[in-house]
Amino acid sequence: MENMLDMYLFETNTLIEQLDEILLNAEKFKTFTAEDINEIFRIMHTIKGSSAMMQFSTLMTIAHRIEDLFYFIRENGVQENYRLELFDLMFRSNDLLKSQVGKIENDESLNDNIDDFIQEVNTFLEIIKGNVPKIDPEETKVASNAAQNDTNQVLPEENLQSGNTVVVFFDEGCGMENLRAFMLISSIQESDIKFTYYPENVENDFSTSEYIAESGFVLKFSNQEDLDAAITIIKGALNIRTYEVLHEEPPKKIEETSVLEQILSQDNTSDVKAEVKETKEVKEVKKEVPEANHDTAPKKQSLISVNLSKLDKLMDMVGEIVITESMVTSSPDLQGLKLDNFTKSARQLRKLTDELQDIVMSIRMVPVSGVFQKMNRIVRDMGQSLGKDVKLTIIGADTEVDKTIVDNIGDPIMHMVRNSMDHGIETRPADRIALGKDPQGEITLMAQHTGSEVIISISDDGKGIDTDKVLQKARENNLLTKPENEYTQKEILQLVLLPGFSTKDKVTEYSGRGVGMDVVKKNIEKIGGVVTISSEQGEGTCTTFKIPLTLAIVDGMEVSVGKSIFTIPIMNIRQSFKATPEDIVYDVNHGAMIRKMDSFYPIIRIHELYNLETEITEITDGIMIWVESGDKSYCLFVDELIGEQQVVVKPLPAYLNSFNVKNSGIAGCTILGNGNISIILDISNLYDAATC
Amino acid sequence: MATEITNTALDMEDNLEAQEENTEKFLTFLSDGLYFAVDIGYVIEIITSYSITHLPKVPDFVTGIINLRGQIIPIIDIRIRTGRPRIEYTDKSCIIVLEVQSMMIGILVDEVSHVIDVNTNDISPTPVNNRQELVNGIARVGDTVNLILDCEYLSQ
Repeated sequence: MENMLDMYLFETNTLIEQLDEILLNAEKFKTFTAEDINEIFRIMHTIKGSSAMMQFSTLMTIAHRIEDLFYFIRENGVQENYRLELFDLMFRSNDLLKSQVGKIENDESLNDNIDDFIQEVNTFLEIIKGNVPKIDPEETKVASNAAQNDTNQVLPEENLQSGNTVVVFFDEGCGMENLRAFMLISSIQESDIKFTYYPENVENDFSTSEYIAESGFVLKFSNQEDLDAAITIIKGALNIRTYEVLHEEPPKKIEETSVLEQILSQDNTSDVKAEVKETKEVKEVKKEVPEANHDTAPKKQSLISVNLSKLDKLMDMVGEIVITESMVTSSPDLQGLKLDNFTKSARQLRKLTDELQDIVMSIRMVPVSGVFQKMNRIVRDMGQSLGKDVKLTIIGADTEVDKTIVDNIGDPIMHMVRNSMDHGIETRPADRIALGKDPQGEITLMAQHTGSEVIISISDDGKGIDTDKVLQKARENNLLTKPENEYTQKEILQLVLLPGFSTKDKVTEYSGRGVGMDVVKKNIEKIGGVVTISSEQGEGTCTTFKIPLTLAIVDGMEVSVGKSIFTIPIMNIRQSFKATPEDIVYDVNHGAMIRKMDSFYPIIRIHELYNLETEITEITDGIMIWVESGDKSYCLFVDELIGEQQVVVKPLPAYLNSFNVKNSGIAGCTILGNGNISIILDISNLYDAATC
Repeated sequence: MATEITNTALDMEDNLEAQEENTEKFLTFLSDGLYFAVDIGYVIEIITSYSITHLPKVPDFVTGIINLRGQIIPIIDIRIRTGRPRIEYTDKSCIIVLEVQSMMIGILVDEVSHVIDVNTNDISPTPVNNRQELVNGIARVGDTVNLILDCEYLSQ
C-alpha cells in the first residue's frame, strides 16, 4: 500500500506541476490552445481517476468539476472576456489541489469543505454556458470588426441565409439517434418554427443514426429568433450532449481540419474572420500562437522511476569497484613482473570501469529546469500581489546536477527569488526609469558547471543591498565582531546570512521575520556548498550558490609528507618541480616565496601546516607543486611524488564536522589500492588556512 | 579516585521501587585501570588489527581515521578523552566500533573485558559533585564498578 501512495503522490505532483507550466504559458499568450485544453482535460481526468482509486474524494471532486468545465470548453471554447477569470480560477484550483496533496503527504486529513470552490466552478461554468446562445447584436458587430473573433454567433454582413445553423449531438451511446432526432424535429415543429434539417429521413432510415452520432444532427433556421427559440427547445430535450451553433454551410463531415482550411483560405478580412465559431477559433488561435507552445504535451519518453536508495547503493558499489580494480592492477605481488597480456587486459578493464562510472553518475543527474520553472509561478503571484512587473529569465536550465542537490536547492532558490521580488525590485516603475532601468524588473536564474562544482546564481536588477542599513541592524542585534569601519563590502554582505538578521522594519507575508537567509545558508551547507552575496546599490544583487558535485571520482596525484600520504586533485596542479636555491626568497616570518617566470608565488610547507614529522625540511630537498584554485596560485612543499591515481572521494565522517576540519584544507579522504587512507587536499581552503 | 567512586556508590541507597526486572547488556572494557561499559545496542564490532591514519588539525583525542571495509571511521582515544596519559598500544588494544545516531565512531581502548547483564535498578547516576559528562551512570556488578559511557555525548 505504501508503494501505491508514493506512486500516486509522485504522479499527481508531476501532473500538478505540468498544469502549472501550461497555465503560465497560456497566460503569457492570453489564451488556451486546443492542445492546452486537451492536456488540461487529460490531467484532470487522470487525477480524478487515481484520486478516486485512492479514495481521496476531495481531490476527486475538484478534479471532476474542472474536468467538466474543460470538457465544455473543449467543445465550445470560452469567450475572451472570461479568459482572465478562467485563468484566475485555474490557478486557484491548482493551488487547492496542491494544498490537498500537501496534506496527504503530511498525513493530515483533507478538508471536506470545498463546497465554496465547487460552487465557484459551477457558477463559472454556468456563466460561460449560459452565454453561448445569446447574441448581443452590439457585441457581435464589435466582435466582427475585431481581428480576434470571440462571439459564437455573428451575423455575417451579407447573407442571412447561410447563417443560423445548429448542430446537435446526442449523448454518446444513447442509441437510436435517428428517432431522437425525429422527436426533436417534432417538438420544434410544434412551436411553429420553420427549419430544414439534415439527415432528412431520420424517421425511417436507421442508418442515419450513425451519421448523427458522429457528426451531429443539423438544423437550419431562417432567422435568429427561430434559432433562439429552437435552442430553448433543444436545451430542454433529453439526451442531448451538446449543440453547436454554426453560421456556415456545414461540410458533410464536420472535420476540424477541413474547416480550418476553409478559414485559412478565406481572406483575413475582419468581418469574415468574425464569423468563425468558437472551436474553430481555437484552432485559429493556435495558428496565431506560433512556436511558443513548445512542450505542453507530456513527455511520453519511456521513463522509469527508481528508488533513490537503490541508486545510492549502485554508486557506492561502483566506487568500490574502482578501488578494488586499482588494488588488483597495482598489487604488490605483480611488482616488477613483465606481464604483457595482463597489462593489456588491465587497461581494457580500466576503460570499462571508467565508462561504468560515468554512466552511473549520469543516472543520478537531473536537469535543474524543474526547479527553475517552479519559480515562474512565484514571480507571477508575487508580482501580482505586490503590484510589480517582473520577468524571470532562466539560463542554463539544462544543466544537470545530482538529484540530492536538486531536492535541496528548491527552497533556497525560492527564498532568494522572494527576497528579490520583495526587497530587491523597486516598488515604483518611476524609480527604475529614473535610474535608467527598464520599468520591468528582471530576475535571472542561472546554472552552470565548472568541472567539479555547479554554480547557481539568482540575480536581480533592483536596488541592491544598503550596506549602511546592514551595519546598523547588525549593530543593533549585537552581531558585529569588530569595529564597523573594518568591515569590507563583502563582509558586510555576508552579515546578512547570520541568523536573526533582517533589515525589514515590518513583517510581511513574504519576509521580514529574519529567519530566511540563515536557513538558506544551512540548506546549502548541508549539501556541501557555499553561499556568497554580491550587490551594488542601485544596480542589483546577486546571490551565488557554489555546490560541489557529489561522489567525485577524481584524478589525483599522490604525494608524501613524512609518513602521511596526501592526494592533490590533478586539475589543480599546474606544475611540479624541484626548486633551486636561487629561486627561493625567504622573508622575515620564515615564510618563503618562489620565483617562477618573473612572478613570485608563496610557498606553503605542508609539514609545518599540519605538524607532521619529516626528515625533509629544506625546500630544496623536496618537491614543489605549483597549484591553482580560482584566483589563488601558490606552491606546496612536499617530500616526494608518488604517482598519479584515480581516487574515489569519500567524505570525512560527520563526526569531524564539529572540528572544522574542512576549513583547514582537507576536502575528504580516499582509500588507496593497498587499503591505506590518503587525505585529499582542498587547494582553495588550504591557502586560507595557511595564511590566516 | 576509583575508590572514592566506589564509596559514593555504596553510600547511595538502592531504589526500592517496584520496578520490573529489567536487565540490559553492556560491553565492558578497560582504560587506564578503569572499567567502562557501553550499552551493547551501540556496539557494531570490535577490531583488533587496524592501521590508523593520522589526521591533521583535529583535537588530541582524535587519533585519526581507519578504513573499515570501505567506510571511513574516526577513532577516539578514550585515554586521552578522559584526560589520562597516552600509552604505547599493545596486542590487547583494540577498537570498539559504535554506531550512535547513524554516525559511526570507533573508540580505542586498552583491553576489552566481557559482556555483562546489568539490572537497571543497579545503575546509579553519577554523583553531582563529581560529574563527568562522558559518564552518565555507574553500574555495580559484583566488586567492580563500571562507568557507563555516554555515547551520545561522545559523538558530539
